[in-house]
Amino acid sequence: MQRGINWMLNAIRPTLGPLPGIVALERNASRNEAPELMDNAALTARRVIELADRDADMGAMLLRGMLWRVHQSAGDGSATAAVLFGSVYNEALRYITAGGNAMQLRRHLDRGMRVVLEELTAMSKPVEGQARLTEVAQAICYDPPLAHMLGEIFDIIGEYGQFEMREGRTRDLEREYVEGVYWEGGLLAREMIVDLAKQRTDLENPAILLTNCDIEEPRQLIPTLDAAIQAGIGSLMIIARSLSPVVVSLLVASQTRTRINTIAVKMPFTYGIPEAAMMQDLQLLVGGRPVIKDAGDTLEAVTLADLGRARRVWGDRNYFGIVGGQGDARALRAHLAQLRSAYAQMRDPDERDLLRRRIGKLMGGSAILWVGAASESEVKFRKEVAERTARALRGAILEGALPGGGIAFLACRPRLRTMMQGSTNPDERAAYSILLRALEEPARTIIHNAGYNPDEIMVEIKHAAPGCGFDVSTGQVTDMLEAGILDATGATKEAWHTAVSSAAMALTVDVLVHKKLPEQAVEPE
Amino acid sequence: MTEERDFEEQDPADQDMVLAIATSPTFERDGLCFAARHSGLYRSTDGGRTFELTYGSLNLQTELPTLAVAVSPQFATDHTLFAGAEGGILRSFDAGQTWFVELLPAPPPVISAMLVSPGYEEDGTVFAATLEDGVYRSASRGGHWELWNFRLLDLHVLSLAISPSFKQDETLFVGTESGLFRSTNGGRAWRELAFAAESAPVLGLAVSPAYAQNGIVYAGTEVAGVWRSVDRGTSWERLSEGLIGDLIAGPVNAVLAASEADLLVLLEDAVLVSHDSGATWVACDGGEALEAGASCIAAPQGLAPGAPLLVGLGDGTVATLAAA
Repeated sequence: MQRGINWMLNAIRPTLGPLPGIVALERNASRNEAPELMDNAALTARRVIELADRDADMGAMLLRGMLWRVHQSAGDGSATAAVLFGSVYNEALRYITAGGNAMQLRRHLDRGMRVVLEELTAMSKPVEGQARLTEVAQAICYDPPLAHMLGEIFDIIGEYGQFEMREGRTRDLEREYVEGVYWEGGLLAREMIVDLAKQRTDLENPAILLTNCDIEEPRQLIPTLDAAIQAGIGSLMIIARSLSPVVVSLLVASQTRTRINTIAVKMPFTYGIPEAAMMQDLQLLVGGRPVIKDAGDTLEAVTLADLGRARRVWGDRNYFGIVGGQGDARALRAHLAQLRSAYAQMRDPDERDLLRRRIGKLMGGSAILWVGAASESEVKFRKEVAERTARALRGAILEGALPGGGIAFLACRPRLRTMMQGSTNPDERAAYSILLRALEEPARTIIHNAGYNPDEIMVEIKHAAPGCGFDVSTGQVTDMLEAGILDATGATKEAWHTAVSSAAMALTVDVLVHKKLPEQAVEPE
Repeated sequence: MTEERDFEEQDPADQDMVLAIATSPTFERDGLCFAARHSGLYRSTDGGRTFELTYGSLNLQTELPTLAVAVSPQFATDHTLFAGAEGGILRSFDAGQTWFVELLPAPPPVISAMLVSPGYEEDGTVFAATLEDGVYRSASRGGHWELWNFRLLDLHVLSLAISPSFKQDETLFVGTESGLFRSTNGGRAWRELAFAAESAPVLGLAVSPAYAQNGIVYAGTEVAGVWRSVDRGTSWERLSEGLIGDLIAGPVNAVLAASEADLLVLLEDAVLVSHDSGATWVACDGGEALEAGASCIAAPQGLAPGAPLLVGLGDGTVATLAAA
């Protein structure tokens, strides 16, 4: 198992730092395909499907799963996690082999790990403003134009903001900001498209009927249309599951007869977000009262008070948008406060992501990044980089940033060293010693990967002022915060926490059980 | 001392109240000021004694309700001013003789406040707050306007204030029906501030002239008096000690901060001034002038005792008071 861990570790270690080594992965040699070139730890590990040695394979897959969890959760920090894991695991295994108590060691490793987390939290500085965000982005993606663009975008949309990436129309990066909110769920009938050139319809000051009913009979909509006519409302948006062709005909005909411009769009669906939650969000944005089938509501009973309002809405074949929803701002803000509180407590990355998307919609405003490059594979690579950078930037806005280059880890050593000196328990002292060594490893690896001698540079750092580290791009020891060399706190803490707890768990593995015919795990678990 | 003057084109209708007043930065010399009313934008060249309608060149068939007005910091040389009307913004580069009209996207929003960037000469930036659509921003001297409402959770904007050091800190505040928001990137995105929703709406906002050093911001509310933040809007405390707590029962229509120590609070029937950062307050002598209801105020020469204060009234007139 250790062989597999170290095999994977050796493949990944060169990818840490701003001057990373490149990992070449063989593709289909028989088809003369060029090897895939990667400089990201998690994505490299993801490509490793199976090692020939089955014991070693278990170790490699253990590390692969851990790296993928860090990547999914924080977007950055997987290479850091790998070197931390490797250091803790190998050093601790040596201690256990020499007669140390694995279970006791694990307990003390866990305690030391939490102390370091506290230190990192205390050290963290808020990240505000485009310049700081760009610096954090640069430390993750090493792509200045992309870092600059993402710094600007996240300065505007914030930690929860709706951010979408699409394949670019040119070779460059472009961004577009969209006021208001939009959802997937376009017009329910082509006949409702007014602007044929743009394939889109815009309405001003519409009333909004929100329902999860399937509207099959024209009579179901008569009360809504009557209420709108009597109130002198000139346009109507219907958000529903479906419309029958006969209802579409009624709405199209009513545009000329009743002078009510109407569009109907599909009730948005997002996997993982219950329809009721979606309807609640929409109702808070636009006001009114949704017509909910499961609650026994019927469209025949709709009155003017049930209709929401917005300043402007639009719909095209794939999306619909609302600008200036006229819901109660106080209620909306209270609802958002609840969602943000739930988000802060949520640990499951997928659930957090869904909550974040709901919050982002309700906050209003979204950004679209059009990613262009010279080739399709470059576009794919750049999108992957942009995606994980974006994830880390969200974390940085929420939790702040730390001095980069492994300096934040080095700054945690004094407290751990004091704890070690104050202990007489050999397992506890060993655990802290192992962690002290691990805390040096990210800085050492970054320096080594940039072609410098870690032993010499670490001495320079030791004698420099607090917060100073090695800037590999200039070859100088410098103040990392002033130089804008930053790491997202969330990603750094995630890397440390996951690496140490996974290594501690791996140390207590005594038995490996193999399947007779193992299945290949294409995706990390 | 109280002095009250009528407009030349007097409209006695109550609804023709004065909604906003803007004065020339060189008011002491040129006596130039503008008053926005439902019946249009009026100009005075004699320190607010007499006013004339400025919209003559537009040949309007009906009145153009004007709800906000703002002048350029370099008005003495660029003669630039902006007026907010329902559905559009007017800009003039000759002190209101001629106008260019820029329509905002339909449905027409009501402009509630306007601001010109302190660095207007270089950045050409103007802001317009609306009652329905949040904040519009122009970076082209009012030629093109766009919504800039990212994370502005309440689009019913009632008041707007800008940092005197906007060029460096890009800070703006808006007061809305439900609270307060701050932008630190020139209005591109907003962040809600910890201001209790039950204390809103926020009708008036003022940023200390020494904001870059002291981070002080004031907020006047409809139902909960005057609030102060000393940490750039992050936290707020209510000013309730002494006279100000006793006097403020109704809406605070405006707050002015003329220096680090000099503050003014405009109530419907009183003008209160403090010369010690809000520790003690004194009421200006408004005589009977304020019986018509004060709606807006300008302090073109600061708040030193005796300095002129132009108070817009509910009956469409402007009263001149002396600061206490």
